[in-house]
Amino acid sequence: MTGLRKRVNIGFLSIVCLLFFSGMVSYVELNRLSRDTGDILKANTHNIELAKEMLDAAHEQNIALIHLAVFGDRSYDSLCRKSMNRLQNTLSQARKDALDKSFLDSLAFVTTELQILTDNYLSNGIARRDSLSNNADKIRQDSIISQWYDKDYLHLYTHLTSAIKNYMTSTQSSLAPRAEQMKKNAYRAVTPVLISLMVMIAIVLMLYYFMSLYCVNPIIRMNRELGNHLTFHLPFNVKGDLKDEVLELKEKIDMLIVMAKKNGSK
Amino acid sequence: MKLNVVFRYVGVVMLFLAAFMLLSAGISYLNNMDSAFYPLLLSSLLTALLGVFPMIFVERHEQISNKEGFCIVVGSWVLACVVSTFPYLIWGGEFTLINAWFESVSGYTTTGASILTDIEALPTGLQFWRFSTTWIGGMGVVMFALVVLPSMGRNKMTLSNVELSALAKDNYRYRSQVIVQILLVVYVGLTFISALALHLAGMPWFDALCHSMSACATSGFSTKNASIAFYDSPMIDFILIITMGVAGMHFGLIYATVTGKHNNLFRSEVTRWYTGTLLVCSLLIALNLYANDIFSSFWTSLRHATFQFFSLMTTTGFASADSNVWPSFSIILLMFGTIVCACAGSTSGGMKFNRLLLGVKTILVQIKRQQHPNAIIRIKLDGIIQDNDVVFGVMIFIVSYMLSILAGTALCAFSGMDLLSSFSGTIACIGNVGPGFGQVYSLGNYAEIPAMAKGVLSFMMLLGRLEIFGLIQLFFIKWWR
Repeated sequence: MTGLRKRVNIGFLSIVCLLFFSGMVSYVELNRLSRDTGDILKANTHNIELAKEMLDAAHEQNIALIHLAVFGDRSYDSLCRKSMNRLQNTLSQARKDALDKSFLDSLAFVTTELQILTDNYLSNGIARRDSLSNNADKIRQDSIISQWYDKDYLHLYTHLTSAIKNYMTSTQSSLAPRAEQMKKNAYRAVTPVLISLMVMIAIVLMLYYFMSLYCVNPIIRMNRELGNHLTFHLPFNVKGDLKDEVLELKEKIDMLIVMAKKNGSK
Repeated sequence: MKLNVVFRYVGVVMLFLAAFMLLSAGISYLNNMDSAFYPLLLSSLLTALLGVFPMIFVERHEQISNKEGFCIVVGSWVLACVVSTFPYLIWGGEFTLINAWFESVSGYTTTGASILTDIEALPTGLQFWRFSTTWIGGMGVVMFALVVLPSMGRNKMTLSNVELSALAKDNYRYRSQVIVQILLVVYVGLTFISALALHLAGMPWFDALCHSMSACATSGFSTKNASIAFYDSPMIDFILIITMGVAGMHFGLIYATVTGKHNNLFRSEVTRWYTGTLLVCSLLIALNLYANDIFSSFWTSLRHATFQFFSLMTTTGFASADSNVWPSFSIILLMFGTIVCACAGSTSGGMKFNRLLLGVKTILVQIKRQQHPNAIIRIKLDGIIQDNDVVFGVMIFIVSYMLSILAGTALCAFSGMDLLSSFSGTIACIGNVGPGFGQVYSLGNYAEIPAMAKGVLSFMMLLGRLEIFGLIQLFFIKWWR
C-alpha cells in the first residue's frame, strides 16, 4: 500500500468502523437486556394479578356458600359454581404461564379438594334440606351444615388461601435467580463493549505511533535539517524511516539543493 | 530496535489466530449456531482488526534482528494469550477475567490445567476454540504462523531460531525453513492418525479430534469433566499412551525414522533413556499399586500406572484414575516425571529429559575429573561433543528451574493454598503438565484456588513454556544492545 493519505484514511476508517461496531454491539446488547428486564417485570406483575384473581374467586365463593348454608338462599347457587370455575380457570392460566410448576402443585391439590367438597354440598346437602318437610328436621339439618362449614369447608378454605399466598410469595422468591440471570446478561452486555474499547485504545496508540514515526518526526527532522542547511550551510541529511510523499518531499528538497548549488557555481 | 517491525509480525500472528477463531465460529454455526457463535465471531473480527492495522503502515522487512525476533516471539505469545480470552470473556459462564486468562495461558502453553468445574457445559464452538489454542501452542504460536503464512524470507529463520531452543535444534540436519515444515508434517500427521484411531476405538468424531489435538500438543485438555476416565476403555488408554509417548519424542527424529534416514529414533541416546524411564517407572508404579491393593488385578494397575506416568512425564496431564489416593512411592515417581518431562524438540514443556541426562553426565564427569585432575574428559550427548557453554547453560537452567519452583511454591502458599497443592501445582504449571496433587489433583481442577495463585501459576506456565530466560529477558530488554 502506498500514499500517505490512503494509509491515514484507512487507519481512521478502521477506528470509525470499530467505534460504530462497538456502538452497535452495546445497542443490541442493551436492547436485549432491556427486553429481558421488561419480560421479568411483566411476568412478575402477571403472577400477582393471577394470585389476586384467585383470592377474589375464593372469597366470592366463600360468601356465596355462607349465603347458601346460613340463609338457605338458592340464588347464590350459580354464583358459587361460577366462582369455583373462575378459580379453576385462573389456576389453569397460572399453570400454563409458570416456568416452575412445582409451586402450583399444592394449590391445585387444595382447589380440587375444595371443588369436590363444594360439588357434593351443592348436589346432596341442599337437596336433602329442601326435601325435609319437618321444621325440627330442617333445624337439625342446618346445624349439620353449619358443622360441615366450620369443620370441613373452612379448614379447606384456609388451606386454599394460604396456598394462594404461598404461590404469590414463591413467584417473588423466584425473582432472585432471574435477577442473577439478569446480572449475567448485564455482564455479557458490557464485556464486548469493553473489549472493543480496549482494542480501539490499542489501535489509537498504534496510529499515534505510526503517524509520529512516518509523518510528524520526518517533517520535524527535515525542517531542522533544512534550517541548518540554510543558516550554517550544513549538508541536508535526513535520517530515519521515510516513505510515500514524505520521501518524495525529501528527494525534491535534495534536487532543489543540487540545482541551487549548480546555479550558484555558474 | 524497530518497534514497527515487531508490530507488523505480531499482527501476522494475530491474523492467524483470527482465522482459527473464525473456524471455531464455523463449527459453532454448524452446531445449530450454539451460544459460542457470536462471541467467537466478534473476537475473530477484533483480533483480525488488531492484526491488520500495523500492516497498513509497515511494509515487509527482508531482515530482522535477533532482538526484534525475540520481541516478536514473546510479544506474540503474550498477545495471543490476551486475545484468546476474548471468546471466553464474551461468552461468560465460569469465565471471570482471571479465569479466562488462566484458561487461555493454560491452552497456549499446553499445560491443560483448567478452571472449569463443568467442561461439558461449554458449547461445541468454544470447546473447539479451547482445543485450537492448545494445538497452536503445541507447535509454538509463531512457528505455526510461519508455516501457514506466505513468504517471510529470511525472517523465518530468525524467528524460528528464537522460538526453538538450542537443544531442540541438535537433531535437525536441515535449514530452518525445512525444520518448520518437518514439524508441521509430523504434528498434523500424528494428530490425524491418533484421531482416526480414537474414533475407531469408540470415541465420537468431535471428541476423538479434540483429544488427539490435546494429546499431540501434550496438553491434557479434555471434553469431559472426568477426563479420559470417563470412557473407561483400555483401548482408548492404549492409543493415548502411544500418542503421548510419541509426541514427547524429538519431531526431527520421528521424521527421520519414518523417512528411513540414518539419524533416527533408534540411534538417539536421549530417546533410549526417555523410553526406558517411561517403561521402568510405569512398571514400578504398577507393582506399588498392586502391592497396596489399589486395583484388583496387576493388569489394571499396569494400565493406569502406565497411563498416568506417560501422561505426566510427557507433560500431557490426562487422567484415567485418581492418582491423589495412590501410595506415596507412586506419587513421588509421578512427581519425578512431572519435573523431568519429555525430550527437547517435542511439543512437551518443562525441564526436558535432555537436560537431565546432560546434568547427570556432568556430575559423573566431575567425579572423574576429581579422580584424574589432568584428564581431558568430554561430555557427549547423542554422539555429539557438548561445548562447555552448553553444559554451563544447562546447569544454569536447572538451577533457575528449581529456584522458580521454590518462588512459585512460596507465592502460592502465601496466597492461601496448602503446601502440597502449592508445590505440586507449581511444578505442574512450570512443567506445563497440568494436574498436580492435593487440591489440584488429576480429576480435579484449579477453580477453587485463590485469584492470586491463578495469576502466579499462569506466569509459571509462560515461564516454563518460554524456557525461563525467554520470558525473563523481556524484563531486561534495555540491556540488549
